[in-house]
Amino acid sequence: MLITFLNHQWKAFWRSKNKGGSIAAQIFIGFILLYLLTVAVLVGLSLEILIEKSFPGKDVFVVFNGFILYYFAVEMIMRLQLQDLPTLSIIPYLHLKIPKQTIVNFLNARALFSAFNILPLFLFIPFCTTAIADVYGSLVALMYVVSIISLTLFNNYTALYIKRLSISNLKVVPIMLASIFTFGLLEYFQVFSIAARPNRTFNVISLHPIAALGFSVIALIVFLINSRYLRNNLYTEELSRNNEKKVSTDYPILGRFGEIGTLVALELKLILRHKRTRSSLIMCVIFVFYGFLFYKKDFLQNDNFAAMLFAAVFMTGSVISIYGQFMFGWQAAHFDGLLVNKIDFRKFIKAKFLLFTIMSTFTTLIISLYGFISWKILAVQFAAYLYNIGIGTIIVLYFATRNYRAIDLTKAATFNFQGVGASQWVLGLPYFLLPYVIFLPFFLADRPYWGLAALGAFGAIALLTREFWVTFLVNQFNKRRYNIAEGFRE
Amino acid sequence: MLEISKLKKIYGSKTVVNIEELQINSGETIGLVGNNGAGKTTLFRMLLDLIRPNTGEILSKGENVAKHSKWKDYTASYLDEGFLIDYLTAEEYFIFIGGLHNFSPAHVMDYLHQYNEFFNDEILSKGKYIRDFSKGNQNKIGIAAALMQSPELLILDEPFANLDPTTQIRLKSLIKNLKQESKMTTLISSHDLNHVTDVCDRIILLEKGLVIKDFLTDENTLKELEEYFSE
Repeated sequence: MLITFLNHQWKAFWRSKNKGGSIAAQIFIGFILLYLLTVAVLVGLSLEILIEKSFPGKDVFVVFNGFILYYFAVEMIMRLQLQDLPTLSIIPYLHLKIPKQTIVNFLNARALFSAFNILPLFLFIPFCTTAIADVYGSLVALMYVVSIISLTLFNNYTALYIKRLSISNLKVVPIMLASIFTFGLLEYFQVFSIAARPNRTFNVISLHPIAALGFSVIALIVFLINSRYLRNNLYTEELSRNNEKKVSTDYPILGRFGEIGTLVALELKLILRHKRTRSSLIMCVIFVFYGFLFYKKDFLQNDNFAAMLFAAVFMTGSVISIYGQFMFGWQAAHFDGLLVNKIDFRKFIKAKFLLFTIMSTFTTLIISLYGFISWKILAVQFAAYLYNIGIGTIIVLYFATRNYRAIDLTKAATFNFQGVGASQWVLGLPYFLLPYVIFLPFFLADRPYWGLAALGAFGAIALLTREFWVTFLVNQFNKRRYNIAEGFRE
Repeated sequence: MLEISKLKKIYGSKTVVNIEELQINSGETIGLVGNNGAGKTTLFRMLLDLIRPNTGEILSKGENVAKHSKWKDYTASYLDEGFLIDYLTAEEYFIFIGGLHNFSPAHVMDYLHQYNEFFNDEILSKGKYIRDFSKGNQNKIGIAAALMQSPELLILDEPFANLDPTTQIRLKSLIKNLKQESKMTTLISSHDLNHVTDVCDRIILLEKGLVIKDFLTDENTLKELEEYFSE
């Protein structure tokens, strides 16, 4: 029976209607996965050397033991954020003549098929079979492997259990995250070092290898708790959504913009009320830290803005590129409704401009904090900001009128390549190259500030001539709106 | 009100809609009947400028719907859930649609009171997003939002489907009342011959995209239709 279920899942995966779509996307995902696994294996194999280099003078095994714990703590946080509950897949089986226990077993087995469960094996097992086996003997190495597998399973089922509990009680996840962060902070400020503890625990394993089975026991207990919970609550309604009361909201500030404001409010609600759009937004927030990678001291001293400009364009326009690339696919489900109602397409396009401008202004204000490092950063970012709200928005919206792929908002977001098509790949080129086309001539002529000024000026000109661009985009939209609507209906 | 001429829609090698000439007069209530694949929804979509006909044109009050958008001021429609914005609450949706016609939120909520009976206490202040309503209730929201615009031309695709019997009867009387009060022109498609003959004063029968019959309803209409469909 279990095999049949898994077989169905396998088919569901390969036969899903909107699976990636284009071959390019498939290949890209394949490469990313391959890359991640290769990195994991390489890191795993060279762990001994890496540890010796990064922590000279420290005992390799002490560091390794600490590393295991850190890894699983971070993994736990990521799992809580990213791992999906395999619940909906059981709906077609619930009413059939299948014992509940079998369905629970299926859910538990299904949960094992996650990248999170493979990665630690690649990371840690090479070290166990080489370094640990050499020093402590093969039994200890074996027990290390056992404890790592057990910890993986423990994390897997604990994360799922917490997520399931959080459906009925929303407070669980924040509490969990807060406690992990507190431990992290305590560790960081050396108040109470947990890293010392695993070392002691794992020391025990090297002395009494059988003790590793303790981890297995804990994992088993969590597994059983999880199974019991599932068995007692095997109702999709209780497992998959919370019944929190939804309230109508209203954004009075946007009301000032009239109909355009109404349309922006509509889209803001779309962003805030779907998981997939919310995680796009979280991505944008994470990219705010991009500056730390690119704003290097020597770049700043030499006025070498070329590399910094990329980060600045990316950060000031993160919403424009990350959210905008799928436009108008986000609204695919009700696109017909938008077309037949009394909505002026001109205002529809203007609303997109307003949304982008608001979002971009907001992020630019936040990343102005980089100004504490150097005022030059502010200059680069301001030029990038003008480019984004002036020209970047036009580029993104132009490609939006050529994007016929619907986005399925009901699906989760991470590693979801549904709705990715050629237009997303093509879009990146002009969007990121154009600033350089403007900036580089001045930069190469050793006038970096002139380059920034030129970039800002072009952005400002596009901004001042926005009416013209709106007309242009409306014409583009009108030319293809039947194709867009037809693509979205599929 | 509506003039259709030489209208053709072809998918691949199949002609889905093929209407040489069709006039719809102001104030008429028209029932569109036909089996699946007769082209009812495709015709509606072309009337609403959602798909482009291969040939021919549709004039609404003398203006081509594909070239002008004035028809949106006086046309309201509900074809399927694709017309609903499903992440809004029912109230938010009504206020949004009302806002497009410059109704204030207070006005909209006040106006909706008259639909209390039609809603049967299942729509308003439920604290749910539209996507969480049942299909029948989603239908009600879509129909009410269309009626709320007090249109001159109303287009509904299978409005009786998914509705419970009580609501079906209430919807019929709603449409009849509106017709008397405001001279609204209505286009309804339905598989329920009883309802169609009851509400409509003109029936258009489509088959494979062609208009097979076009006649005014009288006491024999239902029988006639039943005979046609049982052949």
